[in-house]
Formats: sequence, structure tokens, C-alpha cells
Amino acid sequence: MRTRDRILHTSLALFNEAGEADTTTLDIANELGISPGNLYYHFKGKDQIITELFQQYEQAMIHTLTAPIERPLSPDRGSVEDNWYYLYVVMEEMHQYRFLYHNLDNILQRYPDIRRGFKRLIQFKRAALYAICQTLLQQDVIDAKDQQLLGLADNMTLNLTFWFSYEALLHDNRTPQVTIHQGVLQLLTMVAPYLGDAELSFYRDCETIYVNMLADTG
Amino acid sequence: MSDEKNKVTDKASEIAKNIWLAGVGAYGKAVEEAQGRLEKAMEPPKLFRDLVKAGTALEEEARESTIAARHSVEERINRVRENFHNQRPARIEDLLALHKKVDQLTRKVDQLSKALTDQGKSRASPPRKRAQKTAPGTTPARGKIAKRKIAVAKTARKNKSGGKSSSATSKR
Repeated sequence: MRTRDRILHTSLALFNEAGEADTTTLDIANELGISPGNLYYHFKGKDQIITELFQQYEQAMIHTLTAPIERPLSPDRGSVEDNWYYLYVVMEEMHQYRFLYHNLDNILQRYPDIRRGFKRLIQFKRAALYAICQTLLQQDVIDAKDQQLLGLADNMTLNLTFWFSYEALLHDNRTPQVTIHQGVLQLLTMVAPYLGDAELSFYRDCETIYVNMLADTG
Repeated sequence: MSDEKNKVTDKASEIAKNIWLAGVGAYGKAVEEAQGRLEKAMEPPKLFRDLVKAGTALEEEARESTIAARHSVEERINRVRENFHNQRPARIEDLLALHKKVDQLTRKVDQLSKALTDQGKSRASPPRKRAQKTAPGTTPARGKIAKRKIAVAKTARKNKSGGKSSSATSKR
């Protein structure tokens, strides 16, 4: 890996673990075993590192969010569950850059560019979730009125966007698996009232897995 | 009267929907503005399957990057599905299928054991008598010990004759 990529990679890990605010460029250089001068040769400072990490995230996220907008994830009713698996995919991707969400307001205030990009991402999320809901409606998986569908998409977006910060306030030291799984479960809880009996079994499975996970981690 | 009421709410919800969609549509422009800053690989993707009926008709262009993105999303969905199936509790259908299998196997075992006892009957008793003779006594055990003694003696002899002994002893 090139030094430049290693710096980004290590910064991301440190930001995620220790928090962005508590990580200095010196920490990053130390962790990498390179001199601060070497780091500054590649990046002007922490600002540039954060901005580039966000660009990486934005790019990956937009790619992921475009998928259900372009074409239904479930071409027929038999593959409806793919939509739920997709929620895991999105959450896992967010989790890779969770430092953004743990310090969101602060970062958005300091970086107007990231703020703009983040607003765009939220619209992408709404669009993706709305597209999924619409597919489900067309396939008679859910039964909802137009306005309800928009509200549902908004609620899911809200939940998806702030899940990590909410969860961090409620629980300390949860494993990523539990955090992500519960996040998906929360999203499904919103869809559940609109679901028919057949799809509810999937929801029940999710609940059972969640209970098992909690039992495993104690 | 209620018809009129419905019309009003219909219109209101239509307006609300348009506002909502306009919000979603706004990012299309934003993406265009930001295009210069973002890498070429992520040009504004073709969007709005059904989202913005109200206007902005985006041209449909097939782009390699979006196809690749789609592919990777599908791959990741497959991975999650696999993972999920490993954790998922047993379903009624799975259980029923298992029950069926067990029933089939039980039937097969019954058939086989029946065939065995039939065979035993036709061949009468001599083998069984021999078994009875050996069972209560300690002869078989003694036999084993005797064999082991012989084996030890053999290895000892080999040791004396030198070389190649290690494999013989390690077998014990």
C-alpha cells in the first residue's frame, strides 16, 4: 500500500476508535511509525485527511444507494428479502466511516463542503428507501397509502442516519454486529405494520437473531 | 360532500408529495455542481426510477461505473444472505423436511434390521453359541494381552538387532 493510502487507512481506524476530535496528526504519524514531516508531505493536515475520507465515503455510498433507485433489488416477490439484506449492506458501509456519525454536528459545522455532500447523501438515502418502499408496494408486499409511504421513507432515513449516535448514547461497548443488526431490526420495525403475514416471518427471524446475539454477548 | 373532502385531501397530499420529491430531486443538481470535485468514476448516476415524475427527465445512459456498482451491491447482498441463513432459527418447513427424512431413515433401518433377523433365523444357531461361550469368560482380554506381549517382544528384538526400531515402537 502506498504511504498516502496507509495514512488514510490508519486515520480512519483511529478516528473510528478514538474519535476524530481526540486524534491528532501526530497520533496518526506515531501509529504508522512515520515522521510527522512525512505525513505533511502527503497531507496538509487533518482537515485534508477528513475531507478525503469523506469523499471516499460519499463515493462508495452513492454507488450503493443508486442500486435500488436504478432497478428494483427484488425483481419478483420471491426475492423480497433481498431488500432487507440490502439494509445491512448500507449500514455496514456507514459503520466503516462511523466517526462521521459520532461527531456529526461538529464535523458538519467545521467543513461546509462535507455539509453539502452530507445533505446530498441524505437525499440519496431518502430516494433509495423510497424506491424500495415503492417496489414493495407494487409487488403487494406492503400496503400503504402514498403519504404514508413518504413518511415511512423519511422515518427510515432518519433512523438510518442517526442510528449510530443514538445507539452509542444508549449502550457502551456493543459489538458492531449487534449495533448493525439492531439498526436493521429498527428499520424493519417501521415497515412491519405494513407487511403481510408472509413477510412477517422474516421480521420474527430478525427478532430471534437479535435476542440470540444479546444472549451471546451477555 | 365527502367526495369533495376527498378531493381536497387528495390535492393536499399531491402537493405534499411534490414537495417531498422536489427535495429528493434537488440533489441531482447538487451532484452536477459537485461533479468537478468528485472523481470521474462517479458521475451523477442515472436516477429517479419513479421519483421525479414532475419534471426533470434525466437522460438514460448506461454507464460502466453504475453497472459495476450494481454488481458489487448484489454481491454484498448475497454475502449478507448467506450470513443470515446461518443465524436464522429453524423454520417450520425445515423442521418438517427433517421429520420426513428421519421417518424415511427409520423405515429403512427397520427394513434392514428385519432382513438381518430373517437371515439369522435361516442360518440357525451355531454362530450364536460360539458367541455365548466366549462372552462370559475373560479369554478375549487375555488374548489381547498375549498379543501385546508378543508385539513388545518383537520390538525388543528389533531394538537389539539395531536401527529401524523407532517406527515400530511409535505404532504402539
